[in-house]
Amino acid sequence: MNKENKHYLADWMANKITDDELKRLVTEDEFLQFKKLRNDLEKFETKTPDLEFNFNKIKEKMAHKETVKTKSTKVIRLVQLTAIAASLLLAFGLFQTFYFSNKVTSDYGVTKTVQLKDQSKVTLNAKSELSYPNQFEWNRTLKLKGEAYFEVRKGSTFTVETAQGTVTVLGTKFNVIVEEDFFEVHCYEGKVLVVSGDKQFVLTKDKSVRSVRRAFTLNESYVSPLPTWMNRESSFVNVPFDVVIQKFMAQYNKKVDYPPAFKSVKFTGTFSNSNIETAVKSIAIPLQANYSIRAEKIVLFE
Amino acid sequence: MTLSKDGAADCLCEEAVFKSVFELNFKAVRNFLAYRYKNSESADDMAQNAFVILWENCGSIKPVQAKQFLFTTAIRLSLNVIKHNKVVSNFELQSRPKNANSESPEFLLEEAELKKQLEKAISALPEKQREVFIMSRFEDLTYNEIATVLGVSVKAVEKRMHLALQSIRKILAAV
Repeated sequence: MNKENKHYLADWMANKITDDELKRLVTEDEFLQFKKLRNDLEKFETKTPDLEFNFNKIKEKMAHKETVKTKSTKVIRLVQLTAIAASLLLAFGLFQTFYFSNKVTSDYGVTKTVQLKDQSKVTLNAKSELSYPNQFEWNRTLKLKGEAYFEVRKGSTFTVETAQGTVTVLGTKFNVIVEEDFFEVHCYEGKVLVVSGDKQFVLTKDKSVRSVRRAFTLNESYVSPLPTWMNRESSFVNVPFDVVIQKFMAQYNKKVDYPPAFKSVKFTGTFSNSNIETAVKSIAIPLQANYSIRAEKIVLFE
Repeated sequence: MTLSKDGAADCLCEEAVFKSVFELNFKAVRNFLAYRYKNSESADDMAQNAFVILWENCGSIKPVQAKQFLFTTAIRLSLNVIKHNKVVSNFELQSRPKNANSESPEFLLEEAELKKQLEKAISALPEKQREVFIMSRFEDLTYNEIATVLGVSVKAVEKRMHLALQSIRKILAAV
């Protein structure tokens, strides 16, 4: 017997070795018996189960499972998928049109100009934030924190939304300041509509509306073709001192300490946005205050 | 609808494809379970369940993989089934369909006798050999397929097959 191949019969059955090769491995009698066995086995088969019966059983089981699974059949799943896909598409479209996906921020002491798709122009003053949707031509709505000057091309309604109210125009030039407890819109050209809470103001050229702690005043005063900050200066007329300091901090990123008495001061004046010492002087002198400029902050004292 | 031979282009989720896979494999799966567990009723049930699971996964299984999947699933499903009385073997053969002219009474008698002897010899095999022998001879699985299904090496399958043939020959020779 061949010691190398311990499964030659299996090989022979699978036609991996020939009759002759098998003959060399077994006796003549054995060979004939294997040959007959293989031949006999060919004559028989195992019983085939009733296929139709079993297939129907399988179908029954599948149907049962599908009803048990709260009818989450493939068809329903497809419908759901379609619905999900459709709503995602719709949501994406709306998102693209209305979501304020573009955000522009200006850092301390710098201004930034944004040219919008409709050719309108927005200039952000220091430390401000503007966001607007992708499809701006279709939805001229922006959100503003801080201060910005708008030059709006004629067209559909152009709306600036702020925490303190909205400004709506058709085509004009105007400036908006939004700070905590301070809101000012100054119209430089054309006409704007300011809505804040239940109050409405229509501003024409050189008119401005200001709200200090929700108290509104209309002004027709200051004449300058542009907001002064556009020329690297900050100008104020009767502005609460804390707003002035906020503006100062936006330009120079420096904390300002001042005596509590200054809080009630209404400041009128201008400071430079490019030279801190001049700027501090411009604030301190009208108040007859002394100042010290330190590395980490500015201190004003009486 | 066309059924490509390797089934590569077809999806099992199509009922016609699924049905053809069923027709090709149900018998083998069912009989494998029946011999292994010696219980034809639960074999029917388990084999059906294996096909239900195949259907549930029709999207991720190609028709060519179905056979392997069915056996693996059937084995997994049967793990909890306690083997029936080991002594009873329900192994049964039937004659293949053949031409009518050979069916003389003598022939039929001879064949009936042969069938009995084969059944007896096969039933007498140790379980592991019988399993391999039946799958190979009657369910048309290759040694490779059997090895994968049983989780043993091809060598082991060949060895069992060899031993099975040896012992069947001996039993038949002794008659």
